Parts: sequence; C-alpha cells; structure tokens
Amino acid sequence: MVFDANAYLGHWFARQIRHNTAAELVALMDENGIDKACVGSLSAVMYRNGQRGNEELSSEIAGYLDRLVPFGVINPAYMDWEYDLDWCANEMGAKGIRIYPQYHDYRVLDAPAHSLCEACTERGLPVTIVQRQVDYRQSHWMVDAPDLVLNDVAQLCADHPQTTFIIIEGLGFAGSRFVREADTLPANSSIEISRSSVFMGKEMKVLIEAIGPERVLFGSGIPMKYPGPALLKMKHVETTEENKQLIWGENLQRLLGL
Amino acid sequence: MLIDAHAHCSGSPDRENPWEQDKLFLEAMDAVGIDVAVVSNLSTPRPATPEGFRKCNDDMLAALKEFRGRFWGYAYVNSGYSKEALADIVRCLEADEDCIGVKLYNEYTIDDPAVRPVIEKCIELDVPILEHAGHSHVNIAAQPNISDAAHISAVAREYPEAKIICGHIGGGGDWEWETKGLRDAGPNVTADISGSVTDEGLVEYAIETMGADRLLFACDMSVTAGVGKFMSAKMSSEDREKIASGNFLRLVGRGA
Repeated sequence: MVFDANAYLGHWFARQIRHNTAAELVALMDENGIDKACVGSLSAVMYRNGQRGNEELSSEIAGYLDRLVPFGVINPAYMDWEYDLDWCANEMGAKGIRIYPQYHDYRVLDAPAHSLCEACTERGLPVTIVQRQVDYRQSHWMVDAPDLVLNDVAQLCADHPQTTFIIIEGLGFAGSRFVREADTLPANSSIEISRSSVFMGKEMKVLIEAIGPERVLFGSGIPMKYPGPALLKMKHVETTEENKQLIWGENLQRLLGL
Repeated sequence: MLIDAHAHCSGSPDRENPWEQDKLFLEAMDAVGIDVAVVSNLSTPRPATPEGFRKCNDDMLAALKEFRGRFWGYAYVNSGYSKEALADIVRCLEADEDCIGVKLYNEYTIDDPAVRPVIEKCIELDVPILEHAGHSHVNIAAQPNISDAAHISAVAREYPEAKIICGHIGGGGDWEWETKGLRDAGPNVTADISGSVTDEGLVEYAIETMGADRLLFACDMSVTAGVGKFMSAKMSSEDREKIASGNFLRLVGRGA
C-alpha cells in the first residue's frame, strides 16, 4: 500500500497546476504506483473564505473516495471557522485538517492555532502543518509567506500532547527540536518526507533513527510537484524493507484509522 | 549516458580526509545512474580573490584526477580580476582536458562590462560559461548581482557566438520568467534544469518555451530533485536523450 500524505486538488494563485482534477490526479497516481492520497484544496489556501475551497474539493472527489482521502483547509483566524471545521468533519468526511499560518495572517504559536488544535482534538482530527507550500525564493510579488519555523511547530506539538500532528513539506528537521529533543517531546507528530534528503545530508535516515520509523510518512506533493523525487527517496533511503512498508503507507493508515 | 551539467566538488588534497563529501556525491551518482558530473569548486569566501579562485581551481583539478572520468570541470573565476581570471582559465584548460568550461557566480551580472574579457576569452577558447542565475521577486538584496534571463539574453545579442549556460532554472527563482526570457536568446544559450525546485511542469514548460535542443540535465547537488523531475517529466525519447547528455556533449565538442 502506497499512501501519499501530501497531495492536492484545485488551483494555486501563482501558477498553473496541471493534473488538478480528481480524475487527472488519480491517473497520475496510477502512473506512479500510488494507491491512495490525502488531498486538500489549494484554492482554499488563498480564498478569503477557504470553506468554498473545501466545498469544491468535496464535490470534485465524490466519485473517488476509495482513492482520495479529503483533508479540510481551515483558517482559524477567519469568521465562523468552527462551523467550517464541523462541516469538513461531518459533511465532507475529512480525515484531517490542514493549516497555513503563513498565508492566513497568524503565527504558529498564536491563539488561533491553539484554538484549532483544541477543536481538532475534540473531534479526533489530525492537524496537518504545511511548513511551506512553495519555495520562498519563488514567491509571488504580492505575497510574503516565509517558511514556518520548525521549532515553533515543535512547540505547538508540545503544547498539545493530545493532538495528532502531521508535518508536510518540511525540511531542516535534523537541526530542529524534533530530532534534538526527540526523547522528551511528545510522540504526537508524524513527518512527511518529500523534502528530506537521502544522499549526503541523509536527513531521512536521521529522522527514522531519531523519532522512529512509525512516525515517518511517504508524501510526494503531487500535483504541485513531480512525484519522481519522493519515489526516488523511498527507493534509496537507508533503512529496512520493514520500515519502508511502514513509511509507504501503513503508518498513515493507522494514523487515520483507515 | 547521463551527464550532470551543474555540480560542485568540495574536497582538497590538503585535508586529512580530502574527498569525504565528493565520495558521498559519487555514491549518490552511482545510485541514481549519473555517469559524469561537471563540477566547479566555489569553496572560498566570496566575492573571490585571485588567491581564492586559484585555490578552488587547484582543488577542482585535483578532483578531476582523483575521480578521472566521473568528474569534468569548470574553472571558477571572479571577472572583477580580469588579468588573473583570464590567466587561470587558460591554466585550468591547459592543465586537464577534462576541464571543459568556466563557471561564473554572482560577483557581477553577466552583462556587466567587467565580464566582457572573460566572455571574449571563452569565445576564443570555444568553451561554455555556466552562469549562476535566477530571478526572484523577493529578497533581492541577498544577491544583488545575480544574473537572470534578461542579462544573459543581452550578452547573447552582443556575443551570439558565446556559449552560455543559464544555471539552475529550478534553483528557486521564477522559472517561468527565466525560460520565457531565454526563448529568443539564440541557439548558443542553453539552460540547465537543476535545483531543488521540483514544480510539476517545469521541464515540459522549458521544452515548450526554449526547445529540447537547449536544455541540459543537471542537479546542482540536489540529486533526487534533479533526477526525480527529469524522470517524471513527459517528453519524447529523442528529447530525453538530448537533455540527458546529447546537448552537453555537443556543447563541449565531445559528441555528434
């Protein structure tokens, strides 16, 4: 089972995204041997009212629920977000929530993030934190959204030990609290590998050794990114075949209760 | 054959463990099937002094010997020291036939008059210049003299015979800006696809905009990003062979 923790549908404001309908994404997954994927709405990130993006996602994936697992995008600094959260959980069937502090005008350790974590914990929904959606160096001239600071993310995880966190599109874990304080931080976060190195720096190996293979997840970033790099990382990472099976999908299945 | 047209070496025979990082890179090359990497050594405080770039080039030449056949080289110079730069280009090219070109970094934009002697020397020697390049809309102060497609195109208009490689269109800037800007820069201006950015469609857009004859496979040390995006990008088998190695071999006079 190959289960991708990091996939998308919809539009991104700064460039054209291809393969961004459910049918096209599933075709891309088939081509690359990906069985299932967690998908969130890209459009929802930049809509003022991101809930419209969640609604678009829900309609789009209606015929593909065996392959595409919906995640809601929630802005906890926006009006009536708890209604949106309930709608995602109850109407869309979201298995998790994605948050974007860098695009939604709050910081990782601000009150909206804490409120969101508490609300998701009450509803049994994992919180996905996207360290970055695009490389900062190719930012659109109208939007300034620096990468989230991993130590802030680690603190949020520490502040909410009952919450389940998934960190995607992250890099720099080896020098962060996630690795340095792996023995003392709560084991409530899992980390997706699409940006981790397997050669030279070997961050993926460091992660597996520090936090355990049970907390490492395969993810590709499709269709925003090519799937090839993440697939290559999985091929070449220095770990056991048993660990690879966990990372390919067993961990995510367990995490989402599927 | 797969040639990584934009890579770096960092070892030095002066060190106790001289080739530690380069050997790790070789391991990665072997794992993913890269036959040859074309390397420069930039491990000196920049902007580089003549002493600094000569030392880099000494170490690059030593790396070519140490990893014969797996590394080809670019001589790195700072164009601001014209006399010393030209001398070191000639020294490196004469020292090793696997030193096949020149690497320029961001000390000057490539259309700066300070760079003209280097460009003219490279035309005379018929070797390519790999130009560190990119166009970002943010944090411009970090590299005020980085070249982008506009600078490179301006040079190509003045020196149409100059062989210029626009470095890493996937290196973190606006790759659509870069490839559009190079569209009409002429057949001697190529671009390498290296860099850590793996945006879906990047390679196909570059082919659509510049043509497959003007693109070079490369990683710039982001090995899985470089190989992975090349692996995933859709193109004909003929175009894939050209980008993998054919274009670069032609550029340096080693192929058909």
